[in-house]
Amino acid sequence: MRRVTVDAVKCAGCRYCELACSGRRHQMFSPALSRVIVVKDDRHGLDYPVLCHQCQECLPEINCPAGAIKRVDGCLVVGDDCVGCGLCVEACRFGAVKMVDGRPIACDLCGGDPECVKRCPTGALSYLEHDGGYVSAADELDGLQRRLGITG
Amino acid sequence: MTGFKGGWVSLVKLFGYAGKTLRVNLASRSFKATPLDPAVARDFLGGRGFNSCSMYRELAPGVDPLGPENKVYLSTGPLVGTMFPTASRFNISAKSPQTGILGDSNAGGHLAAEMKYAGYDQVILEGRSPKPVYVFIDDGEVSLRDASRLAGQDTYEKDRLLKEDLGDERVQTLVVGPAAENGVKFAGVYANLVRAAARTGVGTVLASKGVKAVAFRGTGSVEVADYGRFMRIVDEIEGEVYGHPQYGPRRRMGTTRILLMANEAGFLPTRNYQAGVFEDAEKVSGERLAEEYNVRTRGCFACTIPCSRVYVVKDGEFAGLCGEGPEYEALGSFTSRIGNSDLGFALKANDMCNRLGLDALSASSCIAFAMELHERGLLGGEEADGLDLSWGSPDALTLIERIAYRRGFGDVLADGSKAAAEKLGRGHEYAMQVKGLDLIMADPRGLKGFGLGYAVASRGGDHLRSEPFLELSDDPGVGERMFGVPEATLRLADRGKGKLVSYCEDWNAVIDALEPCKNIMQNMEILTFERASEVIEAATGMKMSADEVRLVGSRIINVERAFNAREGLAREGDTLPPRFLREQLPEGNSRGTVFDLQGNLDDYYTERGWCALTGNPTRETLTRHGLGWVADDLERLGVLTAEEVKD
Repeated sequence: MRRVTVDAVKCAGCRYCELACSGRRHQMFSPALSRVIVVKDDRHGLDYPVLCHQCQECLPEINCPAGAIKRVDGCLVVGDDCVGCGLCVEACRFGAVKMVDGRPIACDLCGGDPECVKRCPTGALSYLEHDGGYVSAADELDGLQRRLGITG
Repeated sequence: MTGFKGGWVSLVKLFGYAGKTLRVNLASRSFKATPLDPAVARDFLGGRGFNSCSMYRELAPGVDPLGPENKVYLSTGPLVGTMFPTASRFNISAKSPQTGILGDSNAGGHLAAEMKYAGYDQVILEGRSPKPVYVFIDDGEVSLRDASRLAGQDTYEKDRLLKEDLGDERVQTLVVGPAAENGVKFAGVYANLVRAAARTGVGTVLASKGVKAVAFRGTGSVEVADYGRFMRIVDEIEGEVYGHPQYGPRRRMGTTRILLMANEAGFLPTRNYQAGVFEDAEKVSGERLAEEYNVRTRGCFACTIPCSRVYVVKDGEFAGLCGEGPEYEALGSFTSRIGNSDLGFALKANDMCNRLGLDALSASSCIAFAMELHERGLLGGEEADGLDLSWGSPDALTLIERIAYRRGFGDVLADGSKAAAEKLGRGHEYAMQVKGLDLIMADPRGLKGFGLGYAVASRGGDHLRSEPFLELSDDPGVGERMFGVPEATLRLADRGKGKLVSYCEDWNAVIDALEPCKNIMQNMEILTFERASEVIEAATGMKMSADEVRLVGSRIINVERAFNAREGLAREGDTLPPRFLREQLPEGNSRGTVFDLQGNLDDYYTERGWCALTGNPTRETLTRHGLGWVADDLERLGVLTAEEVKD
């Protein structure tokens, strides 16, 4: 299936994706409402956008005590029976789920036309057929730091 | 003393803005949030406009810059926090300890947006804390926290300790370095470690208040008046930026692309402005940095043309050094200006300035000043701590540290080159500064508009008030079309620069008020007055013609001039170091001319409607800008002469 993939070398950490995400959905600008979360490491000059990978095995779905999380085409759909416990946030191994006003949100691919990909100024985000495994932002950043020879 | 014709917009909700000003009294540990005055929003737009207006209203003439009665003003603009490309910047202002007049500095990164999301357009810090503190602004909650652990630490360590203390890696911090804490008069404030607002000693003022840092956490949002129209403007600008001929070079090199261009044009300041051509420019160029050192690029908030570069020094004495930057100004400052051909050494010097919290421009200017004195046999030996002051000497690094800690000869340089010449009792003519602010990296003999800009800039020797890049075109057609004077855009000509500089000053004041990136919005001619008019309406709901937008810029310039006039500044202060007025450059494509100071000043004052004798704004001019209240004040204080008060 098609997913949003990340080229960590290209990501400049500008957070235009966060603005695009909140803008498209809410017609206002707020990283707090964005379903993309850019992890930034100023000390090493690194950035990485975190968003739902539509994993085959979705731990938030499996671990939801209320059974409120379903998935449609790989994306999280939160039902009315959500009790706002936040266990899904802790369950996601990529940190791609967050709570806003007591309800979890995650990337839903904008229904197949992800705004963040269209707006990314550096081409770091793509919407591609992709079946590979994923690694966490922390591991991606560690690997990138080593590859680029950044110390300190 | 408001004098604003407020009220007419009071029923209109202002979009774009956070809508509140926060005032923090450090002595009484009290806070007050007040609604943004819509009349101030309309008249001054934001950012530098808000700060300069506030400074005029609140800082009595003669205030001691390092006394508790000085204030620090931190403002951002109505476009920041939105998707307007590059809208990421803040302006920080205070009366300057380096110059004794209006001081401010501006930086990008991610701080300004966080401040908006926390709910504030402007934060004002007043008084002085008896103990070291940091200010934490967490949405609506404000707290003053113990900063004794931060005291004396470098900027990187302060940032780390703050994040540890608050238990949140995502807070945005603005910190001072040891230089500010030691009272060096050109110390800055730093966001995202390397986003320096370091001109005019604003960090020194912040530290004098007992404040080591300001941290923001904001979870709010910014709403624009007309989302559809706003996004259509964003779409247009994205297209223009991506299709611009400067897009590629800026992405690859940022502003460091300028170094070789400046050298080719013969205005690259070399050995303290003794020459305009540096024989080793290729070795220290932005091109070489990009090829051999840079590993990736980063951007400020909402930037569609990220130009900040992460570098790694792979070999040589400084192998292992990693960091972000430098910009052209710092790169040139630590290469040609001090006669250094070693790129690793320049990167190290810039990194030291960031960590110690020094203005790289003033630091290198002071070092270049000392080196020229040494070359001329006017300085050396014990007086200079036995340091090697020959051009390009690695002892410059030792000197940077001594400046930051005011040790030995560093203490002589720690107030800027003008003060250093005064302390030494010699070498005044080699202090490359205007009004006490050390100059930037472009020789005005090769850029006459820039020269006029330095002479009249309200914060002293700096180009960012006007940055009249249009003259770089050397195309008389541009001058003819825009100003009716072909020479206005010929870089070596002395005619028409009054029109050029006042136009560009107004333009930059608007950009400094709205707070996107000047490199893109002005230099790439994206945010014209016409487009600013459109986006101001789409973002805030305020209807304002292009002429009215320009008038906002001109109003900011006038209120700043009035602030400085009240501090005693007059035409005599609008000058350049004598070298530019008397000596021609020895070689290169800018040789053969000197700067015509008096002719250019006359031209500029006429254009501004200021008195040619004193340089003061007249009552008539102030009134035309809705600044009758400023004219009243200047008249009451006896600043305006009988001739100038005529309506």
